[in-house]
Amino acid sequence: MKALILNGERSFEYSLSKFSKIIEDLLKGAGYQIKTIILHEKNIGNCIGCFGCWLKKPGICIIEDDAQEVAREVINSDIIIYLTPVTFGGYSSQLKKALDRNISLISPFFGTYHGEVHHRPRYKKYPSLIGIGVFSEYNKDQAELFTNLVERNAYNFHSPSHASQVFTAGESLQEIELKINSLLSKVGVNYE
Amino acid sequence: MNKSRNILLLVGSPGGASSTSASLGHYILDQLAVQGFVTTELNIQSEVQSSDLQTFCKTIDDAEIILLTFPLYVDSLPAPVINTLELIRDRRVKSQVNNQKLIAIVNCGFPEASHNEWALAICEQFAQEAGIHWMGGLSLGMGGVVHGKPVSELGGIGTNIVNALDLVVESIVQKEDKIPEEAIEYMATPPIPYKWMYTSIASISWIFGALKNKVLTKIGSKPFV
Repeated sequence: MKALILNGERSFEYSLSKFSKIIEDLLKGAGYQIKTIILHEKNIGNCIGCFGCWLKKPGICIIEDDAQEVAREVINSDIIIYLTPVTFGGYSSQLKKALDRNISLISPFFGTYHGEVHHRPRYKKYPSLIGIGVFSEYNKDQAELFTNLVERNAYNFHSPSHASQVFTAGESLQEIELKINSLLSKVGVNYE
Repeated sequence: MNKSRNILLLVGSPGGASSTSASLGHYILDQLAVQGFVTTELNIQSEVQSSDLQTFCKTIDDAEIILLTFPLYVDSLPAPVINTLELIRDRRVKSQVNNQKLIAIVNCGFPEASHNEWALAICEQFAQEAGIHWMGGLSLGMGGVVHGKPVSELGGIGTNIVNALDLVVESIVQKEDKIPEEAIEYMATPPIPYKWMYTSIASISWIFGALKNKVLTKIGSKPFV
């Protein structure tokens, strides 16, 4: 079983490495093979909206940079974890840059899912999705928005299961570990 | 008297001037220019991201109203738009600008405008953090029907879009605090009444696009497994 952490911390802001470390340790304990990508250390350009990943090289973004590796890792994982500072209730631009480039992983064609139109899957299997947002200062509206956004992403990405949790920067390691443990259980991780 | 009133259009589409986001913004800017507004336009991907921060910040600070238009990317704003909002917010923590207003217009390729709800909520949260008054947002589904064409040339299919934008112009001219609910409803009304018709047209356009590039047999490729 494989898990991928996409760390969307901003290079000049607080580090999210303590969250990353806890997730890695818990997943290793459950027998997962883990890869963590710190996105600001990668060369990832912005999506240019050309639809080349659907109409020129189907399934592969035409921009040749590290986003191709990210997409390959995502689709070959059983769980992906979006780790990000909560940014206006959503994701940081660092994380979003990588996610915008992942539309190569779905089909251009439409289907009906959850009572509305979404893109059809390209692959047979997609990873479960966990969203972890970190606040410097807690904001209730943004916490709800973050939860909804992760759910929307899971629908669009055909994730078999999803879960999300927000934290504030000052929470103790013990609290963080307990909450992340519970999150992992929600997407089917067990330690037996 | 609108001569001292500045409106800034921030276009968040990588398609720039030929995008649907630009078309929607241009319609409002053109109407306001006629009313004596000073209008400025910046493309986030080609100009803001490459311009010097000082010049960009001055342009932002000088605007009485910021009109942000963008396409929906993965249920949210495109990354460079988020990055621009982060820049504005980070700077506003140090220097406040009073009486500034924000309107956002988001378009998506899905038939349902409701997909845009969370992107607009993010814009509202940005406004709160940056100390900007949130006038509200418009949400367009079936954005493919505009396809970068000038809104005034859309004909019958664009009637609700024109109605929505006219109401927004009026609310700006009248210095209202919110865009009217009626404008939001007009914009969210599907330009094509049948979802199946829109999705069928979209499918045909993907097939033709793939045919043109000689990749139709590969359109469902799974290169990473």
